[in-house]
Amino acid sequence: MSTTHVLLGLLAAGNRHGYDLKRAHDTRLPRARPLAFGQVYATLGRLARDGLVVATGQERESGPDRTAYALTGRGREELDAWLAAVEPPAPYVTSTLFAKVVVALLVADVDTARAYLVAQARAHTDRLRELTAIKTAPTATLDDVVAADYAIVHLDADLRWLRTTLDRVADWHREVHP
Amino acid sequence: MTQLAARGVVKAYGPTPALRGVTLDVAEGEIVAVTGPSGCGKSTLLHCLAGILRPDAGQVTWRGERIDTWSEAARSKLRRTEFGVLFQFGQLVAELTAAENVALPLLLAGTGRREARAAALGWLERLDVADVADVRPGRMSGGQQQRCALARALVTEPRVLFADEPTGALDTLTGEQVLTHLVRLARQQHTSVVLVTHEPRIAAYADREVMLRDGVVDTTGLGLERPFAGERR
Amino acid sequence: MRPATLLRLALAGSRTDVVRVVLTTLSATLATLAGLAALTVLAIPTPPGGDPYARSEQYASALLREPGLRGGTAFALLLLTVPVLALAGQCARLGAPARDRRLAALRLAGATPGQVTRVAIAETGLAGLLGTLVGLAVYLGGRALLHRPDARGRLPLPTDVLPSTPVILAVVLGLPLVAALASALLLRRVSTTPFGVVRRAARERPPGPWAGVLILGGLAAFAAIDPVQDWYRDRHQEQPALLLPALLLAGGLAATLGVVIGTGWLSYTAGRLLHRSARRPDTLLAARRLTADPWAGSRTFAALLAAVIVGGGAVGVRANISAELELRRLTGAGIAGDDNFYLGTLDLVDLAVGVALLIAGGGLVVALVEQIAARRRAYAALVATGVPRATIGRSIAWQAFAPAVPAVAVALTVGLLLGWGVTGGGTRPGGYAQEICDAGAQLCGDPATRAAYTRTEWVSVTPDVPLAQLAGVGAGALAAVLVTVGVGLLFLRASTAVEELRAG
Repeated sequence: MSTTHVLLGLLAAGNRHGYDLKRAHDTRLPRARPLAFGQVYATLGRLARDGLVVATGQERESGPDRTAYALTGRGREELDAWLAAVEPPAPYVTSTLFAKVVVALLVADVDTARAYLVAQARAHTDRLRELTAIKTAPTATLDDVVAADYAIVHLDADLRWLRTTLDRVADWHREVHP
Repeated sequence: MTQLAARGVVKAYGPTPALRGVTLDVAEGEIVAVTGPSGCGKSTLLHCLAGILRPDAGQVTWRGERIDTWSEAARSKLRRTEFGVLFQFGQLVAELTAAENVALPLLLAGTGRREARAAALGWLERLDVADVADVRPGRMSGGQQQRCALARALVTEPRVLFADEPTGALDTLTGEQVLTHLVRLARQQHTSVVLVTHEPRIAAYADREVMLRDGVVDTTGLGLERPFAGERR
Repeated sequence: MRPATLLRLALAGSRTDVVRVVLTTLSATLATLAGLAALTVLAIPTPPGGDPYARSEQYASALLREPGLRGGTAFALLLLTVPVLALAGQCARLGAPARDRRLAALRLAGATPGQVTRVAIAETGLAGLLGTLVGLAVYLGGRALLHRPDARGRLPLPTDVLPSTPVILAVVLGLPLVAALASALLLRRVSTTPFGVVRRAARERPPGPWAGVLILGGLAAFAAIDPVQDWYRDRHQEQPALLLPALLLAGGLAATLGVVIGTGWLSYTAGRLLHRSARRPDTLLAARRLTADPWAGSRTFAALLAAVIVGGGAVGVRANISAELELRRLTGAGIAGDDNFYLGTLDLVDLAVGVALLIAGGGLVVALVEQIAARRRAYAALVATGVPRATIGRSIAWQAFAPAVPAVAVALTVGLLLGWGVTGGGTRPGGYAQEICDAGAQLCGDPATRAAYTRTEWVSVTPDVPLAQLAGVGAGALAAVLVTVGVGLLFLRASTAVEELRAG
């Protein structure tokens, strides 16, 4: 995952210590899985070993020791290279959703596959509504909106696929079981 | 409490059935999305609920009173005072400025010209289009036009807002801004909304989604065996 | 592009295209008939014998019998083509949005701008040709049917002569050619892109009242007729043969054009005044529409106004001739001929004006229906939001009458002044000196005493301003507008059907 590069990016804005980095990560990526402290420190350790970040000193404020880290020149280069690299547009369909429908058709009948598709579409629709509510809440920040949008368009794509596949499921079954 | 209801509404255009017995309740302040593929009868349902079309059979009630039996004049007045309507495009009068378009329903209700203009400007302000108040629709962007149309639909503070593919002619972001305004203002005013759309993402703005298929409400969830004739637009 | 392809594309059109083509054909037919009638009158040969003023006694009507009158008759017939041509111009505008879409679709399919223009020209030219051919057929048929000598063997119409074949050919082929060229000229300002038609010169700027200059010029040309003739008579010179027709034609066209263009200014001004005082949605809608496209009034009312001008002119001429006849009854001097001849002729002119008003009314209906059809989506949306159809209907009525009433008044005035200009009356007191003896038969009978009791009086009859007749013509024109609005409102019902709202 890109947690490494997100941390590098956060450090590019200024020196931070581990706890700060975790908080900034969770605020900027509100819909992502929250980062664990252990993961933050492990990642920082690896980055320091590779010379991408460097510890700049310790401060002690009513708590445990906190080591602040700074981005090195090599760290900056690595970050720029990552930002410049285009992500390959998903070459293989690896969604669990897709796999499940295929397997359902192989081992069960049309109705089972359809029941699964309907249930899945409902779950998607509910989640879509939740995310839309979060997005349109008067208190929503642009961070929330952009993150929700990302999830929404993916759910929307899944939903369109689910509904179209529902209409095709009988023909598809005939093809799988000639 | 149910504000607006359809009971077994049937409507056909000549030999082509559009609605084959649709029952639907809209509660006060509720936002209901009516979805379904093209030609499923969702626009026709909206027109019947809004009293624009008279159903061939079944009833449409507004606060417990049957309105499908009312005269055109009475339904016209109901639409003018209690309902607001928003279409996909082309509803603004091309020769009138934005402010005049928005003021039109108030002028019809007999409000003075100055007062109507002040109210119209207030609504344009709330929809962030005050800067085009004296511009004609032809010189506005699609999003600005649609916001003016929304302002016109809301200027009489209606009890129900009918929106038929209100973002259909807009790009994603612009459409979203219009919808966000629509939902926010409807919630503020406790206005019910009937939102017709074929897009799941737009329907997600509603409290509830009702799916139509071939002129009836799809109660099985989604599944209906038929060949792909999907949502071509 | 093969001619067959061109023909097929030119004839592929919607219902409005058909309406336009039919009206273009009809106006071409009428223009052909008027033109051929005028040429037939001119083709009447002078009877042999060397006398240039010899009468052609085979005709019942003095208009045809007297060589001196035939020129005027032919000219009057040609003048009748003015409202017809105005109607033709109006027809070209009909269904323009639909045609523009069709032409744009052709461009999208790969046609070059030149090919698209050729398609549009071919459509007009073919419709015109069809019209002139129908006109020729009607003319030839009418000639055979109306060849009915009366008891004294005299013909009511010159059905015994035919214009020469080249002349007939010139009319039948020339009119469509002129129509096609005119449409090419109109399309020069239009560039058809694959995405629709872009009018290069946007007419956003409100029209100025400079149309008044044209009107004044036209009136001046007519007013100059008498002084110019006097000038030549004073010098005992023969005036150039073409001077009078040129003055009449140029003056008439300038004045008509001025009134039609001036309607744009009137529409705009009426719209502004209406907007200032508009308290209700119907007046507001009408006012904004008038200021948004003031030229719509010019386009819509062109034929009607031309007919009204001719009507006003006829009223003016009739008033002057009535005054002359009255004068002759008083003095025994003045114009020659019998009353019935002049008044009968004027009745014919009135009939022609009535026909012209009817033609113009037809054009008006189609133009208005077209305007409503172009706005049907907005109208349907208004009705859906609860705007009563009556409000929309009233706005359409305001939109028609606000410019029509002043424009008709101006047209009547201009027509009246033109009519007075032709007959040289109205503006100048006309009269004759008359000797009057009122001392009784005995004294007056005696040449000796007669001189003492005789005085000379200047007898004149000032023609009245024929308000009643003018009001009649004006009322006829406004009635045509009223009927048109009525038809438009019927059409509005269909246009506001909820089907128009489908996203489609």
